[in-house]
Amino acid sequence: MKSLQRLSKVIVSTLLALSLVLGMAGAATAETQYDKIVYAYATFNNIPDTETLATVEEAINAITRDAIGAEVTLKPIVIWDYSSAISLAMQGGEKIDVFQSLGDLNTAISTSMALDITDLMDEYAAESKALIGENWLAACSHEGRLYGIPTFKPIALTPMIIYRQDIVDELGLDMSAVNSVQDVTAVLQAVKDAKPDMTPLAAVNTGNIGLGLTVPDVDYLTDNYYYPKGVLMNDELTVVDYYASQQFADTCALARTWFNNGLVMKDAATTSSTAAELMASGNYFAYIASYSYPEKDTAASLEALGGGFKLGAKIIGSAFLDTTSINALSWMVASTSTVPEKALQFLNLTFTDPQVVNLIIYGLEGRDYVNNGDGTVSYPEGHDASTVPYTAQLSCGTLGNFFIMYPMAGTDPESLVWELEQNQNAKTSVAMGFTFDSSSVKTEYTAVTNVIDQYLPALICGSVDPTTEIPVFLQRLEEAGLNEIIAAKQAQLDAWVAAN
Amino acid sequence: MKHKSNDVKRFQRFATVVLSILAVLTLLPILLIAIASVTDEKVLVSTGYTFLPSKLSLDSYYYMVKQSAMILRSYGVTITVTVLGTLGSVMLTTTLAYPLSRTDFKYKNLLSFFVFFTMLFSGGVVSSYIMWTRIFSIKNTLWALIVPNYLVTAFNVFLVRNYYANSIPHALVESAQIDGAGEMQIFLRIMLPLAIPTVATISLFTGLIYWNDWVNGLYYISDAKLFSLQNLLIRIMNNIQFLKVSTNMALLGTQKIDLPGSSVRMAMAMIGILPIMILFPFVQKYFIKGVVLGAVKG
Amino acid sequence: MQKRRKKRLAKTGPLLLIAAPGLLYLLINNYLPMFGVFLAFKDFNYIKGIFGSDWNGLENFRFLFRTRDAWIMTRNTLLYNAAFIVIGTVVAIFVAILIYELGKKRRVRLFQSALMLPNLFSWVVIGFIVYAFLNADTGFINNTVLKALHITPISWYSTTGPWPFLLVLVYLWKFTGYLSIVYVASIAGIDKSVYEAAQLDGASKIQQIMRVTVPLLKPTIILMTLMAVGRIFYSDFGLFYQVPQNSGRLFDVTQTIDTYVYRGLMELNDVGMSAAAALYQSVVGFMLVLGANTLVRKLDHENALF
Repeated sequence: MKSLQRLSKVIVSTLLALSLVLGMAGAATAETQYDKIVYAYATFNNIPDTETLATVEEAINAITRDAIGAEVTLKPIVIWDYSSAISLAMQGGEKIDVFQSLGDLNTAISTSMALDITDLMDEYAAESKALIGENWLAACSHEGRLYGIPTFKPIALTPMIIYRQDIVDELGLDMSAVNSVQDVTAVLQAVKDAKPDMTPLAAVNTGNIGLGLTVPDVDYLTDNYYYPKGVLMNDELTVVDYYASQQFADTCALARTWFNNGLVMKDAATTSSTAAELMASGNYFAYIASYSYPEKDTAASLEALGGGFKLGAKIIGSAFLDTTSINALSWMVASTSTVPEKALQFLNLTFTDPQVVNLIIYGLEGRDYVNNGDGTVSYPEGHDASTVPYTAQLSCGTLGNFFIMYPMAGTDPESLVWELEQNQNAKTSVAMGFTFDSSSVKTEYTAVTNVIDQYLPALICGSVDPTTEIPVFLQRLEEAGLNEIIAAKQAQLDAWVAAN
Repeated sequence: MKHKSNDVKRFQRFATVVLSILAVLTLLPILLIAIASVTDEKVLVSTGYTFLPSKLSLDSYYYMVKQSAMILRSYGVTITVTVLGTLGSVMLTTTLAYPLSRTDFKYKNLLSFFVFFTMLFSGGVVSSYIMWTRIFSIKNTLWALIVPNYLVTAFNVFLVRNYYANSIPHALVESAQIDGAGEMQIFLRIMLPLAIPTVATISLFTGLIYWNDWVNGLYYISDAKLFSLQNLLIRIMNNIQFLKVSTNMALLGTQKIDLPGSSVRMAMAMIGILPIMILFPFVQKYFIKGVVLGAVKG
Repeated sequence: MQKRRKKRLAKTGPLLLIAAPGLLYLLINNYLPMFGVFLAFKDFNYIKGIFGSDWNGLENFRFLFRTRDAWIMTRNTLLYNAAFIVIGTVVAIFVAILIYELGKKRRVRLFQSALMLPNLFSWVVIGFIVYAFLNADTGFINNTVLKALHITPISWYSTTGPWPFLLVLVYLWKFTGYLSIVYVASIAGIDKSVYEAAQLDGASKIQQIMRVTVPLLKPTIILMTLMAVGRIFYSDFGLFYQVPQNSGRLFDVTQTIDTYVYRGLMELNDVGMSAAAALYQSVVGFMLVLGANTLVRKLDHENALF
């Protein structure tokens, strides 16, 4: 009896010990931790719920676990709140590893949001480095150190006039003769004469009728596209006040003529409608905007939005690349990241691995998109962008490598070739690679921004008389400190020129 | 006698007329939105907003129906948050206001200042954010929509304090004390029941604040399941606003983005206020009753 | 003497206990984060973080005072708030009295619902509504009203003249229903016997209102006004940015401190400067309300805030 008891005790304890050991071994293999990367991107589409997002993350992780030994957490943020959200998250100590700039790269650099990745590129992102090229990477550098990788997409924006093809045919107008914004006047006048109830030119968006885009070869030196504060013009290396230039005065005068002759909508400076809406309403003939797609493509895709009117497009200017064009949408590794090498490796994947980037943009095949067999994709039957569980399709131009993403149905493959060419052949600024650090003139920046906000939209939409307003504008700018900004820019530019 | 009732009647007629005019003027713009939401998009853009559009269309609402799952879910979130938040707020506010209304309370002025100071100074978004997310971990929970900022506001506290101090006679409190009642009993048996008008007031205010809030959701919620109604609508509307700003479009190379048109935006606005528009007259019944009849009698 | 002191102390304990939950909440929600105020004095750097960034004294405040815009934005903020306080209070009380006098009638519900509705709309939507009325090409006013009266259309978003009135009007539209509720509740709390006494003395309805209701509303009016004074350097961003559709031509009459800071910092995204602006608004409001409260305390001791 006793020996039986003792035997059973031994057996039980051995079994227990064995299970303990096996359990621990099992747990150990299951718990191999992968580094985690948080990829924060701006989206225009609906934010999905966490379960759906997890399915897309899992599909990406299946690739990244093998490729770079890390797992990815996707963090889509609404675009209009993106910069604030990232700033808040980083200040609050939240984990952000990879994020993008929306026209504010130089701020990210000067406040140390972006990590210096110069020494990490060769080892962790060599393919991207080769893809983007030294020239473009220079646009994300400051004082010789690299801080970001620009989104690889059609960047060269060509000013075009988008117009109602049916009206052009009806009136027998020759659009091939329209090669600059001055030529446009005649066309608008012809339309006005024939159709007095129509307003020929619509605004492309609030405070912009497209004229600002047609002054050629101006480098805005890191400011945003419509509110420059000190620019380079005519291939010179002297920073000048754009608003004091003759070209600006001429542009405003042209806008004023159009306004006075009823050729442009009266409320362009404050309209709440977009060009697409205006054109679709049938009351407008054309609008001017810059696109990166070839003429044919632009017209076709806009037609789909435009309420069934046949549209045409004509280039009226040429593309010009300055540093801001390239670095406006740059991808950076957060300076607070604990896994910078892996983060950079994942970033590299978004530029080089079609599977990864298409998962981010389109989601899961079958559920969020379908393959059309000819290389293009569409939303599943009966669905569109607002009803599929996951899509970030509208971010296609803001992340990774645009050229390896599946094109949406209806896109012409030829266009991609044309766009790539434009990227390489567009005229570039003499100051390509120079970024301006604004921290020494922050006070002047806020004051000048407010002055420009106040005067510029009305001037370039023609709703005020430039002969009286421009002098007032210039004086207010001076009071606000524009000259200090220009001086600071010039000093930094000279230093950059000397160093290069 | 006759003189008295004529006087009252005349005034009531006057009140009715004036209020009717005001009500109509107030509702006119809203009517315009409602009509715009069922106007054909093209007509809306070409001829503007009118009370008699030439072409009607329910397209905007069809567009919303497609997103109905998302919208219904957000309604659920909003209603839950509003109810819970308002209840919690009333409890915390009425209790806090009571001692502040007692002139024989030693710390009346000190604590009143303590409360009032919060109206003037705030540590800013960043420090609140850090505190709530790091110390209290409320990110992506329902609490994130209820607790930060709105549970107790100095404004409400002072409103209730004001009512306690001026509309509830101190004699009642004194007689209860003489009868040997403790503070809690005084509060529950006297202060709360007699304060119905002001409780109704702050319930309404707080309820509206919770209903309208989208900021807490913006900072603390990234899971679409927990988007409140206004949060959802604002996200969509602001996306559109963002894209209309020229500088932002330039960033994106003016892509082909299909934005909801003006008519859809109006439909969204209507959906945001629909439940309240329907519920309000019912809630009103109790509110008016409470406010008018719940007053302290001589 | 001893008895009295004992009585007072005995009250404190339970009273404090009752107030405790609310106080605790305010402590956590409002006071704890106040440490963030020092961000206004720092040159924020993400790597160094909140505590490690360098101090830069009053540098972050410079942009608030530098230009002539600073004067305009301050003037606008103050004047509009003053107008809102005075006009808003008068209109709210007027409406509240009317509503109260109609008492139990069913139509009161409709009136109040109608007046409350505008409060439900966000400023973005209200901006659309105003635009629907005022835009130069297709707005209701220009297209329908002015056309019928044969007046030339006005470019509303480029003319500064009407906007102070328009903004006050929009403010009233959005907030009258809301504000009147406070006063309705207060009127409801007035002891009815005072009215009975007045009636016995032969006072008419109007006299009753002017001599009884309004004076007895004094505490509430003072309360609301004092609270508004504390916020006098803040403006409702949506009202001054969305409603004028961010129109540059109108800045001279629509630029407030909040819109100026927003516009100025949009590109810069500067943490320290936004914190500095908020601190500036708080400090001025605080000093003003301290002054106002002291004044009230001298004139009417009971109704001071603290």
